Amino acid sequence: MVNLQDLKKEVQKILKEGKIKYFIGYEKREDEPFAKPSFIKKPEDVEKLTWNPTCVHNLARFLVFEKRRKASEKEPDERPVGIMVKGCDSRAINVLIQEKFINREDVYIIGVSCENTGVIDEKKLSKKLKNKQAQKIDFGEKDNFVVTTNDGKMKVPSKEILADNCLECKTNYPVVYDVFLGEKIERKPEDPFESIKKIESLSPKEKYNFWKEQIDKCIRCYACRSVCPMCYCDECVVDSIELSVTAETTADEKAKKIIWTEKSPVSSENFTYHLVRAIHMAGRCVDCGECERVCPVDIPIRLLNKKLEKEVVELFDYEAGFDSDRPPLLSSFKEKDPQEFIR
Amino acid sequence: MDKILKKNSLSQWIKKLESYTIYAPVKKDQVWEYEIMESPDNIELDYPNTVLSPKKIIFPQREVFLEFNRSDENDLEIKEILPEEKPTIVFGVRPCDARALTITDKVFRSDIKDIYYSKKREQTTLVGLACNTPPSPHCFCTSVGGNPYSKEGLDILMTDLGDRYYIESITEKGYKLINSAKNLFTQPKTEDKKALEKNRTESKKKIQQQIKDIDKIPPKLNQMFDSPFWDEQSLGCIRCGICTYICPTCHCFDISDEITSTFPLQGKRIRTWDTCQFPSFTMHSSGHNPRPDRASRLRQRVFHKFQYFVERYQEYMCIGCGRCVDQCPVGINIIEILKKVRDYESKSLHAKTS
Repeated sequence: MVNLQDLKKEVQKILKEGKIKYFIGYEKREDEPFAKPSFIKKPEDVEKLTWNPTCVHNLARFLVFEKRRKASEKEPDERPVGIMVKGCDSRAINVLIQEKFINREDVYIIGVSCENTGVIDEKKLSKKLKNKQAQKIDFGEKDNFVVTTNDGKMKVPSKEILADNCLECKTNYPVVYDVFLGEKIERKPEDPFESIKKIESLSPKEKYNFWKEQIDKCIRCYACRSVCPMCYCDECVVDSIELSVTAETTADEKAKKIIWTEKSPVSSENFTYHLVRAIHMAGRCVDCGECERVCPVDIPIRLLNKKLEKEVVELFDYEAGFDSDRPPLLSSFKEKDPQEFIR
Repeated sequence: MDKILKKNSLSQWIKKLESYTIYAPVKKDQVWEYEIMESPDNIELDYPNTVLSPKKIIFPQREVFLEFNRSDENDLEIKEILPEEKPTIVFGVRPCDARALTITDKVFRSDIKDIYYSKKREQTTLVGLACNTPPSPHCFCTSVGGNPYSKEGLDILMTDLGDRYYIESITEKGYKLINSAKNLFTQPKTEDKKALEKNRTESKKKIQQQIKDIDKIPPKLNQMFDSPFWDEQSLGCIRCGICTYICPTCHCFDISDEITSTFPLQGKRIRTWDTCQFPSFTMHSSGHNPRPDRASRLRQRVFHKFQYFVERYQEYMCIGCGRCVDQCPVGINIIEILKKVRDYESKSLHAKTS
């Protein structure tokens, strides 16, 4: 098990030594069961840090903001940023390094194991607890979580409340780190693609109807994009607004400006957004499940990415985020790659 | 006018109102939303907060203003699209969500009357349901001038008294709905009135979140525009639009032309929701962005609700429904932020004011 004191000591040490400019971790919130991202600058603030099954966020997303901030500074602090990662989060960092968005030396990584379980799905938890309110959730012994509610402590089998992506995770410990805390326990899920089985069995028409109903719910808050560490484009396809419009620009000229998706939350535009995003995730998505977790209207976005993950494994024997030295899937070519589509 | 309606008569009442388009809370997958009701028999009024408030019915995310068509150089045809005649009822409105409409009324139905908003507002009857228990652990309506049984903005308020509803009709529109099924309603007895009072005292006590001395916040904000506070508070923000899109009082919008054909030029002029949380919000053609970072966008959200709006309309632009707290993916909590603003006493603040 990860010893929280070890984590605090390690972070305090690297902050005191001036090895990092700040540390991105998780902190406990007042009167709230779920943790939130924490940004620690002073060694004495490490007491805020926490590690428990409510540390759901993929903190690698904040490396994207860090890069932008650094680029805007005149005399940037060149020291690395410290960051705490789970297995999937570490794979996201690997993809960012692989794609040369960040350099390995830009980050000081403290990896934590997921204690052979993973993180909790808040919706599953509230369903399980019904009217009770969780106050605190801890990793329990093997395959259990200990949930403290206003009614006392209860043990909940991890399978019942684990996030779907954790249930299908093959590597619930980090694959890249400077310091590792916890134990690496190999755990093989019965079927890593269990969640997409049902959809795969549908006819094209049924698939379309399923997705249309889901995608029509979208309110275009773009939380799925904004939370994703892989969505680091400077200009996203949905924001592509040609700003070079002057008073002299005619209506005809304006009409000719490229707008890939309109702002209207209607089927065609919602589909364009979600499918463009999904395609951009092929060979890149590390299945941290954040896009689906944050969706306010409960669209099962992860299923799209999962299907592409499966295609990529089957066609190219490629899994995202395991090896930062390997060239990115979509910018490399091997002779034995299937190329039926080209003939 | 007060009445009593037995719970098992509710569907019969709704059946009498079939000339209206009726919305009610519906559970879809894991979330609740106001949807057009398919059958009055399945109406469920035991729901938490819906993701979107009835704002989505009065001020929909997309509204078409006009259609244009230029068939040749000299002929531009413009067809104005006016809001349609569609008498509507929304059942099971939370008192805070109805209050939210009295706030957006100030923007859309005052000096300049927005015909799209006004038409929908006028033809919609809001049937509220008092909150016996808070629908969210983050409800804080009592701190911003509301309460779990507020009648502001509603046409009817129903209160669940176990086997019956205590019905209060507040407006002419509300009275009309009750009148259309007169025989289903009975006069309240003294014990009903007592039960109602007891219910109210208890429901108010159940609100877990309180922001004391909230009136100190607008003047405090006035001194905090340039404070590093906003940088600290926004570090975790991922710049999505959830907090503002699901907010019942947020009302920023954008108007754009959607082109469906270039030759001949055809398209629609539409209004869609906009949010201060997006980088493109009020971005200038020159490329200058008045709110270039997450800190200035979070500040905009808090200032609009608790400073600019208060200055202009003497009211908070927040009804304390707790949706933004419930839904923020990174735990940004406006209740915490407001308490911190109220208690903010930094050295830099003193240095600036002294």
